Amino acid sequence: MLTYAARRLLVAIPTLLGVATVVFLLLRLLPGDPAIVIAGPTATPEEIHNIRVQLGLTLPGWQQYLGFMVRLAHGDLGISTRTGAPVIQEISTRVPYTATLALASLVLAIALGVAAGILAARRRNTAADVAISGGAVFGVSMPTYWLGLMLIVVFAVRLRVLPAAGTDRGIESLVLPAVTLALFSMGLVARQTRSAMLEVLGQDFVRTARAKGAGRAAVLLRHALRNALLPILTTIGLQFGTLLGGAVLTETVFAWPGIGRLLVDSIGARDYPVVQGVVLLLSVSFIVINLLTDLLYAYVDPRIRYG
Amino acid sequence: MRLNLRVATVVALAGLVVAACGTGGGGQQAPSGPKHGGTLRVAIGIDPDTLDPAAQTTTTSSQIVDMMAETLVTIDAKGAIQPLLATSWSQSSDGLSYTFTLRKDVTFQDGTPFNAQAVKFSIDRLLSPDTFKAQPNVLGGKTGISRVDVVDDTHVKFTLFTKLAPFVAALTQTQAAIISPASVNVAPNKPSVIARPVGTGPYKFSERVAGDHITMVANQSYWGPRSNYDTQIYKVVPEGASREALIRSGGADVIALPPANDIPALQADSSLRVILGPSDRTIQIIINTQDQAEPLLQKPEVRQALNYAVDKAAIIKNTMFGAATPLDAPMAKSLFGYCSIGTYDYNPTKAKQMLQQAGAAGMTVKLVSPTGRYVQDFQVAQAVAGYLSSAGLNVQGPSTTDWPTYVATYAQVGPAQAKTDLSLLGWAPPYLDAQQQFEQFYSPRVPPAGLESSYYKNPQVDALITEANAGTDATQRQQQYCQAAKMVWSDAPWIFLYNQKYPFVTTSAVKGVTGLPNEKFVTTWASPA
Repeated sequence: MLTYAARRLLVAIPTLLGVATVVFLLLRLLPGDPAIVIAGPTATPEEIHNIRVQLGLTLPGWQQYLGFMVRLAHGDLGISTRTGAPVIQEISTRVPYTATLALASLVLAIALGVAAGILAARRRNTAADVAISGGAVFGVSMPTYWLGLMLIVVFAVRLRVLPAAGTDRGIESLVLPAVTLALFSMGLVARQTRSAMLEVLGQDFVRTARAKGAGRAAVLLRHALRNALLPILTTIGLQFGTLLGGAVLTETVFAWPGIGRLLVDSIGARDYPVVQGVVLLLSVSFIVINLLTDLLYAYVDPRIRYG
Repeated sequence: MRLNLRVATVVALAGLVVAACGTGGGGQQAPSGPKHGGTLRVAIGIDPDTLDPAAQTTTTSSQIVDMMAETLVTIDAKGAIQPLLATSWSQSSDGLSYTFTLRKDVTFQDGTPFNAQAVKFSIDRLLSPDTFKAQPNVLGGKTGISRVDVVDDTHVKFTLFTKLAPFVAALTQTQAAIISPASVNVAPNKPSVIARPVGTGPYKFSERVAGDHITMVANQSYWGPRSNYDTQIYKVVPEGASREALIRSGGADVIALPPANDIPALQADSSLRVILGPSDRTIQIIINTQDQAEPLLQKPEVRQALNYAVDKAAIIKNTMFGAATPLDAPMAKSLFGYCSIGTYDYNPTKAKQMLQQAGAAGMTVKLVSPTGRYVQDFQVAQAVAGYLSSAGLNVQGPSTTDWPTYVATYAQVGPAQAKTDLSLLGWAPPYLDAQQQFEQFYSPRVPPAGLESSYYKNPQVDALITEANAGTDATQRQQQYCQAAKMVWSDAPWIFLYNQKYPFVTTSAVKGVTGLPNEKFVTTWASPA
């Protein structure tokens, strides 16, 4: 399993180089000269030229690309053209915020999603099932932006129990953005759990387990859920990407200073080095999460072995 | 089973019920107002790119820097130039150099004395190509400051390459703020980039969390009157509706730019104060006056007809929710050089008639607009498209793109590469002199040399602007700008829309937040009501 993980990580290197190249090229295909955006409308041509020199934009494209790749090989992502600070610093101050938000949402989505899915499967075609399935559809279909604002109106403006935006009230500040971000994934996880459980609950070994006198909880959790877990795990693994994508909107609505907003601000300012850095970071996280998901398969289902 | 359904319904409706109940009882709990000496919390929409005075490009960011670092001269609420770190100044007889007398007994927040050396250091830094993203604007380049000389401790002399009439006005810009020479070597500051400005201002830098907030504390040794709040926190809240929620829920005391369509509701709320702050930003539809795709737009009478076709008053009332005043000149009233010229009153009949006579009835025009760059920009472009369609034109658009793409595609291209007939644009002079507004009508500024994207070229106007920009006699400059403005007005390279205001909201527990004509809202001297 260790060799397998090592091999997967090794294969990831060309993937990352490819990502770096594609991002580099795509950014430069975007219309919009960073120097002009930075300099603002009243800048003189001399000023714009000076900024272009400072950002290295006067060099030919291939030299810019080579410079980028060489620096990347040294672990240097460059200087943010928007702020003048190192990209590593810009990103590392934002990562804890997004990580906290994504993790809190994932925990919420898994705990409530799986529980609701099991309940719905257990009480198939009852009012509870209808309510949960309806709720899941609601969670999946609600636009994050709108949902976030509605939650703010109810819990911050009307009830005044939670802050409307920002990070200054610790865990209280985390509640609304985490719930907003979690609802979509929660819905998906609940639906996936419900269908996987339904499939398993109809099988012979479940009937056998019941027949031999196993308790209700034991049948559900130890026998049924364990066997239904693979597709659920896949869904959860895929949710990570969704969470990061949703984080862009959630972070904007709730003024949460994470990676998503850094990315949006940086694209708006044509801050090439930061955009490149953030996309690389996201790619690395995707690769790692996918690998972890695959490794978890083997843990959950002993029949799966990686050699 | 039935019970479950009922429970589910009740739960699902709970939120709605709660919300509905809240409508009547809202505001029973007074917002936790700041106490004297306490903290003022301000929510702004953008995350300042940099706090380096020399690299400022946006007013929101500049107003924060202004609290910490001061300039030699500043503007008052009417836009007039006032002394700040300088007490007086004089111009040499050849008009090329200016000597400033500096305030004595001022020290920087790090204890360094403020003197002529510090002024020279800061301005040299602004002009240096090594300063990251320096924005010297008219102060730099081949026409700006050629050298700064220390005369003595309290006198500093600026020598210019060419005569620049609005030179003193240009020194009111935040980029020209004076910083402590010692501070650029104190980490995280570097000579090329300043992250924590150390100036002479009434507030000191305390903390910054990127994307989240900037905290400033009162400078106890400030040379002027003491500020009221011990601490001011500027929070970054990009979404307008979230800023509104924040001030309504007691999470902020001041917010910039509430959603425009909520202005009437906010005005009706007695616990809040809506201030439509002044701005020198004009919003206009730029007409391609050298249009090859639609050559009819090269005719002034066609462009005048477009001006008559649009109901500016209705747009201000219905789309801008009152946050604008109609233009009666091609610039805001607060600029030096402004004179009232007239209005293109809404007259669809006349517009149609003029278009008919010019053979332009039913002509096709393409309209583009940015989204979210100016208050209600895209919505206003939609309204304009409606009026032009009513006048019988075939309007394509408005279409929109993100700002960098917009500038690159429509504003920064020369006449040969023009991709649109009409484009919405705002223009806000960084200092209040018509020289900056006329950058929009001065043909040497046709892209790529500037952003004169109407490609308007009138030799008489050019000559007047050239003279006025270098003039030394204020009365004469005023007359020249006024005369040029009248020609521009009748040549109509724009559909002149309005002078935007800058809305901000405070709770009724706060007073003394004032708007300046350069679109800044100043919280420095705010106090508990």
